[in-house]
Amino acid sequence: MKIRIKRAGLMATIQDLGRHYYLSQGVPVSGAMDGLSAQIANLSLGNDANDAVIEFTQSGASFVTEDDMLICLSGSGACLKTEIRRLPLHRPLFIPAGTNLYLENAPPGSRSYLAVAGGWQVPEALGSRSTYITARFGGLDGRFLKEKDILKSTGRFTAATTAIWNDLKGNAINYPNWGVARDLFLPGDLKSIRVMRGREFDWFDKASTGSFFSAEYVLGHNSNRMGYQLVGKPMQRAIEGELLSTAVTPGTIQVTNNGDLVLLMADCQTTGGYPRIASVAAVDLPLCAQLKPGDAINFKEISWKEAEKLYIQHQLELRKLAVTIRQRYS
Amino acid sequence: MIDLRDKSDLQVYPISEGAVTIEFGKTVDEDIVNRVNAFDRLLQQKAMPGMYQTVPAYASLTVFFDLLTLFNAPLPGKTGFDKARAYLLGLNEQTSGFEDAGQSEIITVPVCYGGVFGYDLEYVAGHTKLDSYEVIKLHSEVVYKVCMVGFIPGFAYLGGLNPALEVPRKATPVKVSPGAVGIAGRQTGVYPLETPGGWQIIGRTPLRLFDAKRSQPSLLKANDMVKFEPISLSEFEKYSGG
Repeated sequence: MKIRIKRAGLMATIQDLGRHYYLSQGVPVSGAMDGLSAQIANLSLGNDANDAVIEFTQSGASFVTEDDMLICLSGSGACLKTEIRRLPLHRPLFIPAGTNLYLENAPPGSRSYLAVAGGWQVPEALGSRSTYITARFGGLDGRFLKEKDILKSTGRFTAATTAIWNDLKGNAINYPNWGVARDLFLPGDLKSIRVMRGREFDWFDKASTGSFFSAEYVLGHNSNRMGYQLVGKPMQRAIEGELLSTAVTPGTIQVTNNGDLVLLMADCQTTGGYPRIASVAAVDLPLCAQLKPGDAINFKEISWKEAEKLYIQHQLELRKLAVTIRQRYS
Repeated sequence: MIDLRDKSDLQVYPISEGAVTIEFGKTVDEDIVNRVNAFDRLLQQKAMPGMYQTVPAYASLTVFFDLLTLFNAPLPGKTGFDKARAYLLGLNEQTSGFEDAGQSEIITVPVCYGGVFGYDLEYVAGHTKLDSYEVIKLHSEVVYKVCMVGFIPGFAYLGGLNPALEVPRKATPVKVSPGAVGIAGRQTGVYPLETPGGWQIIGRTPLRLFDAKRSQPSLLKANDMVKFEPISLSEFEKYSGG
């Protein structure tokens, strides 16, 4: 199974669920910004949750299938279309060879994930297939996808993947009558981001911390896979002082010396020296991954205990989804 | 011997659902750096359930883990964080103290100082009221310790810079080449990748500080000892050619 990229769109890269074993050497986690959608795309095909997917940012990409294919697009950055029809997201799709497919505009999100039966084949770099652009390794030659790139499946199918393939293959586009209800994994309000207090929360004055939980913040244009610029009222310090550099992680919200907020994302550096006002709950990072510059969000405080509970529930639901799909095709 | 017991200043706090930080102090201090590294080595031998990696920093050690594995481990506490804290403080309690790292092997990093590679050497000499040769001598006669690795892959923060070499950072970061050797404040280090950097550049090494194709991609790791060795331009070119 392979596709040829006709238009790569903006910053398309290969990602999996990240690189966890080289943090001490300064290597970021990377991985899909919206890990939930990457997992849904894989699990829909009977793949392993960590198989390599293509991360597309917004619309504009197009590709052609060079073989008969089993693919799935998840996320909310674009819809998937042929020349004449729109195809469903979050479910396995049989696509015959020679079909042109387009990622077209579908607000409100920003990123989409294309999985293929067996996962996309790229070599592992430092234990992961995720692309890390800054140091030019991982994914496809450590770079963004471009026109004429050929991407192949590993061809290693699980029993469930083979069963889905046998169920759907034929001469025309085909898909089952079920799909993953991605919305059920997400809270009702996609612009209200749950956060926990950071270690240096008390370094800021009461007016600033108060407005942190009540004011709106707008995603700035200087936002990328490393971090998001959150434009709002600058934070005022109650305590002066400098933080000794220490580990940071995707979800950390730092406050720069100007009082501006920076939300660290998948490709963020492993250590930082700015005070940390809060951390985004891991279950809400997929919401952040779908923000576009200009989108307004607000922060809602939850406890660290609550965040853990949400994360564990989320993981168990994803496992249940994997089991349900496997059982359906056994 | 480093005694880790009865340290009431030991703070443990979460930085994500899957990471906790142990804070050993709030200052840059050789004893604290040693304590961080001693605890890190202990934790490598007695890994916390679900542990992926640790990130040592100047005065803290952060432990990254899979929350589900930790949560299901038979440890006291109702949350993953409680369990992590119980494990880490328990490790601290049970350990009566253990050997210091001792003398690590010294990694020699050849540097071609000044000229086109060390374009800020003149500035550093002017600012410190030393001549360029003295700057090179003071920079290359010390054995440095890697306090932490961070910022970008393979970037080692080295402790031990001679205070006579203290210079301010640049007002605005400028693009630097891989291998560029910089100093700023009480710190020195080598840029592994082409990146914007704010330190004063005094030379360049032909060594690759970071290479994703190596089994240990970062040449330097926390607790390593490092010495800079001045080389000439022709020696530099020999390295690059070979």
